[in-house]
Amino acid sequence: MATFHPQLELLTEHAAGSLSVAQSACVAAHLNYCAECRHSVVQLQNIGTALFESADPVPVGDVLLNRVLARLDEEAPLHHSSPADQAGSNATPALLQRLMQGDFSDLPWRKVTDALRITRLQTGDPNYEFALYHIKAGGVIPDHGHRGSEMTLILEGGFSDDRGTYHPGDFTYRRQEDEHAPQALADQDCICLAVLDAPLRFTGWKYRWMNPFLRLHAG
Amino acid sequence: MQVVGEKQNVWTAPTGRRTDEWSECLTQIAEHEDRAAFTRLFRHFAPLIKAFALSGSTMSATHADELVQEVMLKVWQKAGAFNPEKAAASTWVYTIARNCRTDMFRRLQKFDTPLAAEDFTPEQDGEEPFAQLQSKRSGERIREMMADLPADQTQILAKVYMEGKSHAEAAAELDLPLGTVKSRVRLAIQKLQVQFERV
Repeated sequence: MATFHPQLELLTEHAAGSLSVAQSACVAAHLNYCAECRHSVVQLQNIGTALFESADPVPVGDVLLNRVLARLDEEAPLHHSSPADQAGSNATPALLQRLMQGDFSDLPWRKVTDALRITRLQTGDPNYEFALYHIKAGGVIPDHGHRGSEMTLILEGGFSDDRGTYHPGDFTYRRQEDEHAPQALADQDCICLAVLDAPLRFTGWKYRWMNPFLRLHAG
Repeated sequence: MQVVGEKQNVWTAPTGRRTDEWSECLTQIAEHEDRAAFTRLFRHFAPLIKAFALSGSTMSATHADELVQEVMLKVWQKAGAFNPEKAAASTWVYTIARNCRTDMFRRLQKFDTPLAAEDFTPEQDGEEPFAQLQSKRSGERIREMMADLPADQTQILAKVYMEGKSHAEAAAELDLPLGTVKSRVRLAIQKLQVQFERV
């Protein structure tokens, strides 16, 4: 059961469909772990329903109706069975599996420090970077401020920082001004999903890990 | 027993199972491929879907018609997945419309993503019947209470939900500070008694 959740505004934008692909994927992955937030999103969608129902209807002609009716034969109703029992709530969310196309071990991890490896996943989002971090047990991510925001979701293991200890399903959202130096828990490697602002600055972001100050810390 | 009220063909059956004309139509489609039921559903929802498509006016009328077709075809195909115990028909149709619109926006922007909006729906579906009923009741309550929100709050919710804008975009368009937009949304959501985890 998750202890750290997305902010209300993120859940609202997610429910409204107005959140970017990468951020929405991260929120959706959290929902996989968190019944409370799933429940909130269902309720937030009802706000959308209310606005939808009370919209001023825009007339649609019979031409369109007939066009749709003519296509019903090619689009036979699908036969739905009730969804099979899903894997346990700690399994990697299906959405992530789709992006990963394999296991964590199949991914092209890039070593950043002895404790940290990173791999990027393609969501097609032009505004946000979507990456997995692999932090060795007990390893520290060097103290870093953010140029933009950073969303993190723990998938395996856990880490701690000045705000607390995070376990699988826990979600954090840090803004530009926040600095933190998360440390993976001592007994297990940590894999987390990170969504960062502005891939246009990806080079900058990549180099940030490489700048002399950080290299000093990373040893 | 809370009586839901008479508007919008909604009534509460003695069993507590809420039903309405549109849920019946969906069931007819699922069970009998009933075209008359589909036509009734189309006449009611197509104009709402078109209004939704044109909110924020970034979509052309042609694309809006395309969206109406796409959504209504999905409604036909997927009617069997509609569960009246879980949600109102309008919520179900709205969700399809929202997903199709998000996908269409991305297509129009030549935004190449391996993910469809549908993929963002949580996999766990196994809510307890009691929890489902609770969810559905709170949904009904929220939709009723929406009418009593102050106009300045509804206006922002409309930007976010109907126009698909972020809080930041809504703030820019309404020429309001982002903090004001966020606090109005929060106030509205509290008034609607949406439960959420404090962060």
